[in-house]
Amino acid sequence: MLSTTIFAISSRTSTVALPRCGASTTFGILRSASRDTDSLADDIWSATLLLDQLALHTTDVYLRARQELISRQQQDMLELSTPVVKLWEGVLALPMIGTLDSSRTQVVMESLLQRIVETGSDVAILDITGVPTVDTLTAQHLLKTVTAARLMGAECIISGIRPQIAQTIVHLGVDLGDVITKATLADAFKLALSRLGLGIMRQRHAPVAAHAAAPTAD
Amino acid sequence: MDRIPILRMGPVLLVSIQVDMHDELALTLQDDLTNAITTHGARGVLIDISAVSVVDSFMGRMLANIAGIARVLDATTVVVGMQPAVAITLVELGLSLEGVRTALNVEKGMAHLQAVVASAEVFSDSSDDADGAH
Repeated sequence: MLSTTIFAISSRTSTVALPRCGASTTFGILRSASRDTDSLADDIWSATLLLDQLALHTTDVYLRARQELISRQQQDMLELSTPVVKLWEGVLALPMIGTLDSSRTQVVMESLLQRIVETGSDVAILDITGVPTVDTLTAQHLLKTVTAARLMGAECIISGIRPQIAQTIVHLGVDLGDVITKATLADAFKLALSRLGLGIMRQRHAPVAAHAAAPTAD
Repeated sequence: MDRIPILRMGPVLLVSIQVDMHDELALTLQDDLTNAITTHGARGVLIDISAVSVVDSFMGRMLANIAGIARVLDATTVVVGMQPAVAITLVELGLSLEGVRTALNVEKGMAHLQAVVASAEVFSDSSDDADGAH
């Protein structure tokens, strides 16, 4: 009896929309197949159970697939949003984008320290231009990263502190200690180069491009 | 009982910790190192912990202690080669090792120590000259 029911359900695409109880519907088949009310009730009960389980299974699979997608995207975002870039031999930069929470700081810290070891860099620049808000927790996370880098033997410079964030930091009474802070990434890079005994200078005889020379001739 | 060897390189003492430290070993090292600094008149101590993968609060405190003792005896301490995991653990333990110099590897640590020793020598030479002039 149940196999007939399953066949009836699987042969129909919309089992939910069954307003009529004609001979072609599931319940119609059930009614015509069973003679007494007891077996009819039993059959309806098993059909209901089956439908419930199918629905549960569908929802379960759907949710699991979605959850996997979300967690994968979250992981991707976590990795994409914290790239450690090498600016120069011995200078690393970490442009941070988005809100800094504990799990992200952990990833940031680990990837930064790992890259410091790999590249043997002396200076790391933490650029927080893309961080929308800084609270005490975020500041604490930043300080932790700076301290860990210092323990490894690298110096950290925090750059890209926007005016609003600077005000917030002072109002919150966050003590950044002796951490070097710069307004822009360019300033931080300049300082990093000078720490390595390097500098940027203008070429005395700059190569003049042909199209640039044309207007001066007029 | 095993000990951690202390190597002498001119005015610098070199300590390479290759085993996981236990408390007694750490105390012995502290003792030996203090004696070695006084005996050799060392100006710098370089501690290489690149092989240390496990660290606890005692170990962190010991590093800070050694640096403090060395400073009292007029020697600079540089801790080199700390593993990322160790650094994170120390930060989570709340030990930032203030007053301890750090470097990425032995080469950089040694360069720093040599600069410190050289500047100290230049200073003492110039003060000797000043004395001679008088």
